[in-house]
Amino acid sequence: MGLLDYYRQFAGMSDEEISAQLREQAEERRRRALARIEQLDLSRTTWHELPHPEVVNAVTYAARGALNVAPDPTAEELRRELGRRHGVEPERIVVGHGAAQLLASAARALLEPGDELLTPWPSYGLYPLMAQRTGARAVPVPGGLDVERLLAAVTPRTRAIALCNPNDPTGERLPGAALRALLDALPEHVSLLLDEALVDFATAERDAALALLDDHPRLLAFRTFSKIYGLAGLRAGYALGAPGAEELLVRIAPELGVGLPAQIGALMALRRCDGQLAQRRAAVAAERERLLGALHELPLDAAPSEANVMWLRPAGLTGAELALRLQRSGVLVQSGAGVGDEHHVRVTLQSERATERLLEALRTALGVA
Amino acid sequence: MRTDPSDTGGLFITRRPGTRPVQYRTAPRVGDAGRQRMDGLVAAALLAGMVVVNLCFWGPLPLACLFLGGRTQYLTGSIFAGLTVAFATMIAGLLLGLMALKRLDYAWILVRRAAGHDQRQGVIGKIFMICCMIGVPIFSVWFLFFSGASLAGVDVQGLLGG
Repeated sequence: MGLLDYYRQFAGMSDEEISAQLREQAEERRRRALARIEQLDLSRTTWHELPHPEVVNAVTYAARGALNVAPDPTAEELRRELGRRHGVEPERIVVGHGAAQLLASAARALLEPGDELLTPWPSYGLYPLMAQRTGARAVPVPGGLDVERLLAAVTPRTRAIALCNPNDPTGERLPGAALRALLDALPEHVSLLLDEALVDFATAERDAALALLDDHPRLLAFRTFSKIYGLAGLRAGYALGAPGAEELLVRIAPELGVGLPAQIGALMALRRCDGQLAQRRAAVAAERERLLGALHELPLDAAPSEANVMWLRPAGLTGAELALRLQRSGVLVQSGAGVGDEHHVRVTLQSERATERLLEALRTALGVA
Repeated sequence: MRTDPSDTGGLFITRRPGTRPVQYRTAPRVGDAGRQRMDGLVAAALLAGMVVVNLCFWGPLPLACLFLGGRTQYLTGSIFAGLTVAFATMIAGLLLGLMALKRLDYAWILVRRAAGHDQRQGVIGKIFMICCMIGVPIFSVWFLFFSGASLAGVDVQGLLGG
């Protein structure tokens, strides 16, 4: 390097050069942003779109109102509306911070240390946890929603069965007749905690379980506004019990009830969202059919589903490997490893576009042309 | 991005104007300690050169211009021609001197950076100001009392009792 070149290397860039460089960098960032593939999250069972605008308006109105005043702890108006909808007396309904809170409270109320909580497996990961928190023992019953297996697993220590219907993550659903058979055969000391968080996605018999309440005092049904209503942020759900279950329902209710925005939002959702719910249910049903049909050409096994999820088993791959490959294509799915099943993944159904993208990612991941 | 405090509620957003670090096209290869000491000396020499050029504005350059103007008047017999040459050479000398100063200042910045200093701005303004503070009084004293020039209607020597 010559003498002059040595000193010239210490010349800084001019403002114009720096500006040009910054402009070029900004342009590059814009190009990358446009070329970036948005991730498609099919790993959650909550609805992917924003809630109904009238629900948002009602919640906003409530939030801008008298938040200094404690809300009605019994959520009387909301329970009345739920009672009208389901044909159940409001006294047999309790509102809580989502179905999960009510389920956990019910487990605390029913289980004692040393008791057993049966649950078909794989299923919702909360059930074993809520048993552990009460000192009870969770007993998974493998083999899906099978009444015979469940009854065979009942012991004198069994106090409750947690049944997710339709089941998360498999989408399998026990029909009303099978439920009745299960309830009829259950011993006196066993209650059935029926988690119907995904029941709104079912095409038929959505209130079949509620019709069983009158004849089965040990049945508790749990529903939520978090899934098809798209109100997971409100944390609102409810439980319905049989005649005579009022005392138990009061025990599982949250202390001082749920917040005013949650009450108002849930009420407005019940009054305004029927059309939207029907659309979402129809969309999910159509995508279930589309995905099942398209899976014939792929090395994947899938069982029929009555929920917004499908439980897929790839041939020659573990669920975690398939989830990783799909993630590389920008599609997030839930590996079954979280519920102890290494062979499956759970995918959530959203829309035609999402299904098309999922199928494209599946073809890439499985090496199918 | 708006960075002007009048646009941002009186707050400087990101860096204050004029305070950004030097940005190089490629990271320069800095010499060893001996080379940096040498560069420090070169920078000092350049600074001295700038001082000399600046001081020339207040002594040698006017004298040379007056000499040239006087020679022109003597050769042409025209006062106008003498004055024109004197002013023209003065202006040309100033411009050339300032151009040289600017180049010296730029070279000084580079050599200072080579010597290991975070030199962001030149020193031309300070040098010029200091040289003015030194040169103007000296030139004024010389011009009024020693050059033999006299202002029209003003007897400087008389004012001083000479």
